[in-house]
Amino acid sequence: MKPTIVKREPVVDDALDHCATKLTPEQIEKVVNEVIDKETGGRLWTYVNTCIHCGLCAEACQWYLSNDRDVSYAPVTKVKDTIWVMLEKKGKVDAAFIKRCSEIAHTECNVCRRCGMYCPFGIDIAYMMMVVRRICAKLEMVPLYLQDTVHSHAATMNQMWVKPDEWIDTLQWQEEEGQGYVPSARLPLEKEGAEVMYSVIGPEPKFLAQLLGNITAIMKVANIDWTMPATAGWDNSNMAMYSGDFEVMARVERLHYETAQRLKVKKIVMGECGHAFRGAEYDGPTWMGWMRPPIPLIHAISFYYDLIISGRIKIAKKAEGPITVQDPCNVIRNAGLGKKLRYIMNAVCENFVDVTPNDRHNYCCNAGGGVINVGPPWKKKRVQGNRIKAEQFKRTGAHTIVTPCHNCHSGIEDIVNTYKLGMHVKFFSEILIEAMEIPEDLQP
Amino acid sequence: MVNSENWDWECKEKLVADTTKWKSQFEDVWEPYISPDGEKIASIVKVGEGEFNIAVNKETWGEEPFEKIWYPRFSPDGRLTALITKEMEWTMAVDGKTWEEMYEYIWDTKFSADGKVIAATTKQDGVYGITVNEKTWKCPVNLQSIASYVISPDGKTLAAIAQTVRLAEADLDGFLKGTWSVVVNGKPWKDNYVDIYGLTISDDGKNIAAEYRAAICEYGIVVNETPWNEKFGCTWEPVFHPTNSDEITTPVRQGGQWFLATNGRIVWDTGFVSLLYQTYSPDGSKIAAAVAPQFAKWTVAVDGQPWSTTFNECLLKPCFSPDGRKVAVIAKDSGNWLLVVDGTVLGDGYENIWPPAFSPNGDKVIYKVEKNGKYAVAVNGKVKGKEYEALWNPVVSPDGTKVMICGVEAGKYYRKVVLLSDL
Ligand code: SF4
Ligand code: SF4
Repeated sequence: MKPTIVKREPVVDDALDHCATKLTPEQIEKVVNEVIDKETGGRLWTYVNTCIHCGLCAEACQWYLSNDRDVSYAPVTKVKDTIWVMLEKKGKVDAAFIKRCSEIAHTECNVCRRCGMYCPFGIDIAYMMMVVRRICAKLEMVPLYLQDTVHSHAATMNQMWVKPDEWIDTLQWQEEEGQGYVPSARLPLEKEGAEVMYSVIGPEPKFLAQLLGNITAIMKVANIDWTMPATAGWDNSNMAMYSGDFEVMARVERLHYETAQRLKVKKIVMGECGHAFRGAEYDGPTWMGWMRPPIPLIHAISFYYDLIISGRIKIAKKAEGPITVQDPCNVIRNAGLGKKLRYIMNAVCENFVDVTPNDRHNYCCNAGGGVINVGPPWKKKRVQGNRIKAEQFKRTGAHTIVTPCHNCHSGIEDIVNTYKLGMHVKFFSEILIEAMEIPEDLQP
Repeated sequence: MVNSENWDWECKEKLVADTTKWKSQFEDVWEPYISPDGEKIASIVKVGEGEFNIAVNKETWGEEPFEKIWYPRFSPDGRLTALITKEMEWTMAVDGKTWEEMYEYIWDTKFSADGKVIAATTKQDGVYGITVNEKTWKCPVNLQSIASYVISPDGKTLAAIAQTVRLAEADLDGFLKGTWSVVVNGKPWKDNYVDIYGLTISDDGKNIAAEYRAAICEYGIVVNETPWNEKFGCTWEPVFHPTNSDEITTPVRQGGQWFLATNGRIVWDTGFVSLLYQTYSPDGSKIAAAVAPQFAKWTVAVDGQPWSTTFNECLLKPCFSPDGRKVAVIAKDSGNWLLVVDGTVLGDGYENIWPPAFSPNGDKVIYKVEKNGKYAVAVNGKVKGKEYEALWNPVVSPDGTKVMICGVEAGKYYRKVVLLSDL
């Protein structure tokens, strides 16, 4: 097979550069074969043996399209340059090869699963990239900032090294912010037997605390009996799933659900995040041996859909001007919430302008799948790798992009800035809080 | 232990407080808590803009309100604690009287079994510690964070999972060298670890154990600073034998399956897809655990033998009857919560079930259930008596003949004592 021509600007990643020097051929061979023999099965073999190398998947991938159809970014190339070689050489590969594997799997693929829809056999390339990530994780070959995030999950059970007191303190402060909208609003901590436990991802208390104030007001207007935990278990995000450290992933998910069980809630409503939904709805429960989450999990899109369609929240004043949306892969392509997202967008926007392609076929934000978490060294490549997303948004003529996912939000902000789109990027709740009717008896 | 012998087991029914009055008396009333003996009910109440108090039965905690109050918790000896703030500083209040020291922050109140020891995590000048009856640990190193802590039943030993070494941003090597340790009564263990989880103290207070992470994907158990020789792909929380604290048991993962290990040795030779919540019988002669012999088929295994009935969603922690002959567990199947004893489902499914209590001879299992948003007491699968707006876990009297049922009906809080034989 012809080697792939790979043209990349050199990137310094201290973790990959340093760890690669420590790897021994024996260690690599052992881990590769252990993962392939014990942690994969018929699925991997079927995919590898079914692929006819036709390359139809290439047209699906935003990396390939945005890099002028550079074949080194094609989904099938990502497989060819990683797992195929490992299988062919029975794990006898060197450290430089493993380093390239990590670059491909962690920094050039968002495991967004768009390519699987374009493959005539439905081959799930993202799954194979997750196998590569698992091998890299066990060899400590994970990009610096992603690994640091996973260490945060492992040590604090949240993504952002948020300490227990900082978490509670932030909630108490944001309760007061929420009371700015609705004076009688409350953010009830540790309320056993509430209907809903609301969970968020680490960046909310760290950088986007106002979202917690917003939800405090929204919950009051919608008259939801809700609570948030004052203990670890509040963070629903999971970068360990994306680094390939499935043991840490499982511990985080287990605590999230055990916290909900301890609080005796009926369901968990989670904030606007796509990867967190994947981890909490699918990957985490599967590893734990749960067929489905032991406490039902509702994504913010479904929650707001229910509140608006049932009339629990009424819209007083729709947001003006053209507003578009980013479909987060993990809740739209992979969980089918596209119609609900469009319903709530139309409900709160005077002029909702859809993207093309959209819904299940939408392009990934290029930040998801842990790719934004590999940090500043890889940012330039990531943003260049999604030129088509910038072009897609430009065509809408919108002044604002709604991103019901944290990774999408940060990734799209980078794209808006780099390609000078001059658009605002907002979470759905930020539009809703301004648009919703606050009943007279709840008004300040 | 909570001494329930002195509680009033004679009075059949008391109207302890009419909490409907609170609604008109105060601007807002938060969810209620009751004392272990059921004689007091308390809620945080809003008395003005940024002014809060606690209502306990017919009284409040004095005239002077607090800026904030949260985490009201009754100690086992019936004192009411809460965390309060005054002029932006925090402290503990016990029956309305605040501790002298104020803190940057205080949280996670815990008690000894008799309630004489009241502890909480505190932060002062950026340094973390545990404060025990108003005295904060004097620790030779500045603790950077405290993830959680445990307290022995006698309250003499407190141990915390604490960050003992400052970590620079994105310092992967530093992290893998170990920045976390166990701190016992203010004294850190000699070694640091990558991570510490599942910290536990034996009932006699003599031994302390935890899971530790040795490397990426390598875990073990450390007992009194000495790690087991064996390492595993993953572990869950260890549990001490109730009467022999030299024995400790934990789920361990090997070759993609979960096993039960005691003192480092695999003791159940069957591997499971999942294994959680191992529980010793009161005399320590048996162990029950929640297991999944196959994916999404959950059951209880007793001494390694799974029940034949399985449940497709999840299981909570199993519990033994006082004589150790029966095992009860709350299971979830197809969206319903079920109470299961020795593999047999008792009665209907509910929206929620709370941890059950057994009668002394194990023939009755008594528990709180939720249906259609109301709460009731169920016995062996049947709802007994009234529905309540709020209800607390039923408590069996020390002589095993009576049950205390505390609940709110039409806004009025009642404490009732019924004969177990009538249930
Ligand atoms: S980024 Fe998405 S489309 Fe591209 S290879 Fe990865 S999973 Fe496939
Ligand atoms: S479209 Fe499917 S069969 Fe064709 S190269 Fe891609 S993965 Fe292989």
